[in-house]
Amino acid sequence: MKEEEEIEIEMVTPGEVLGKGSEVKAGKGAYLSPDNNTVFASLTGRRSLVHPSPHSPDQRPTVEVIGHKAHGPVPEPGCVVIARVTKVMARMASADIMCVGSKSVREKFSGVIRQQDVRATEIDKVDMHSSFRPGDIVKASVVQCNNANPRHVTRLYLLISLGDARAYYLSTAQNELGVVSAESMAGGTMVPVSWTEMQCPLTGQIEQRKVAKVGA
Amino acid sequence: MANQTLKLGGGLPQDGDAICVMKAGKLRFMKPNKYWVESSQKRYVPSAGDNVLGVVVDTKPENFLVDIKGPALAFLPVLSFEGGTRRNIPKFEVGTLLYVRVVSANTGMNPELTCMDANGKAAEYGVLKEGYMFESSTGLSRALLSSPPHPVLEGLGKKLSFEIAVGINGRFWVNASQSSTVILVGNAIQKSESLSLVQQKIYLEKLLKSIQ
Repeated sequence: MKEEEEIEIEMVTPGEVLGKGSEVKAGKGAYLSPDNNTVFASLTGRRSLVHPSPHSPDQRPTVEVIGHKAHGPVPEPGCVVIARVTKVMARMASADIMCVGSKSVREKFSGVIRQQDVRATEIDKVDMHSSFRPGDIVKASVVQCNNANPRHVTRLYLLISLGDARAYYLSTAQNELGVVSAESMAGGTMVPVSWTEMQCPLTGQIEQRKVAKVGA
Repeated sequence: MANQTLKLGGGLPQDGDAICVMKAGKLRFMKPNKYWVESSQKRYVPSAGDNVLGVVVDTKPENFLVDIKGPALAFLPVLSFEGGTRRNIPKFEVGTLLYVRVVSANTGMNPELTCMDANGKAAEYGVLKEGYMFESSTGLSRALLSSPPHPVLEGLGKKLSFEIAVGINGRFWVNASQSSTVILVGNAIQKSESLSLVQQKIYLEKLLKSIQ
């Protein structure tokens, strides 16, 4: 089914009216405001109209906002991200989110791994220093929001439903999540030995990490 | 050297099969197999178990931020005092001098301090009131804490009465009833670092004669 797209030349900015809710459907970068049944833009970009397939019951075209280079992937609750640990503190570790799924992000997203989200068992006995070190690459999942109906405004990363306004809450509390790649103090890339230990190939020293289970 | 397992301490990293020297200082050996380089510098590298002198720099809801002459500020949890509860959190002004113990000092993280000993008692930890704090090198701090006692310290202690607290981070604090005594003791200790044992004895004799 080839869907026709019309991309306009004019740029739209968040808050601009894209159409009436009765005439168009809200697609990517747009949302429907129920109060006055109008579709507004939530991102900056070019307005694009996607005509519906002739078989679908709803014959309204979908309006999207696309084309701006900043429209990279955005972390969503439940998705798995790859992040690099930047700072380890007594009760949490900060990380820079680099990839969402398999796509790399275009802007800087900050993540926080709290002590209680490092693993599933004995969460109050977690030693952050034995789980992560600055520079480690970790695979983590974005914590599901408690709010049953996640309404979020994607612009300005003001995900009101996730973590707080400063950073996403990440969790490594599963076997497949945790440190994927780490460097030892001697500088060599370490090899995982168990779910808590990694070994340096240069010196043979074992360092403690929360290791991700990779493979079958 | 016959086939034996060596224990390498500070300043002696291993590069493949060779042992290199990374710090300037004296190579020390302790039987049966420990080697390390003892150096004296102005910088202090925090390590767990050290007793240090810290200066309060800031107060946060959970911790006091304390400067201990290390690469990063150290955190002193507000409850890490004997009988510390949420109700009786001490109020430290910026600039308060504390005698504290380093609990953990992992690389990349801020060191954590406490004002209790291993049993949870206050011991000697806490605020150091009055007196004056002097800066020294880490080598001098270690010498002041060694046993047998430092000759200058011993000599001064026989004639003058003062109290002193030494932090292994290159700081020491002196208190006495008169400020002239404090200045005398502080200067004498700082000066003694550059003197040999014999010179220290002579200097001490001259000093004590001049105050009589």
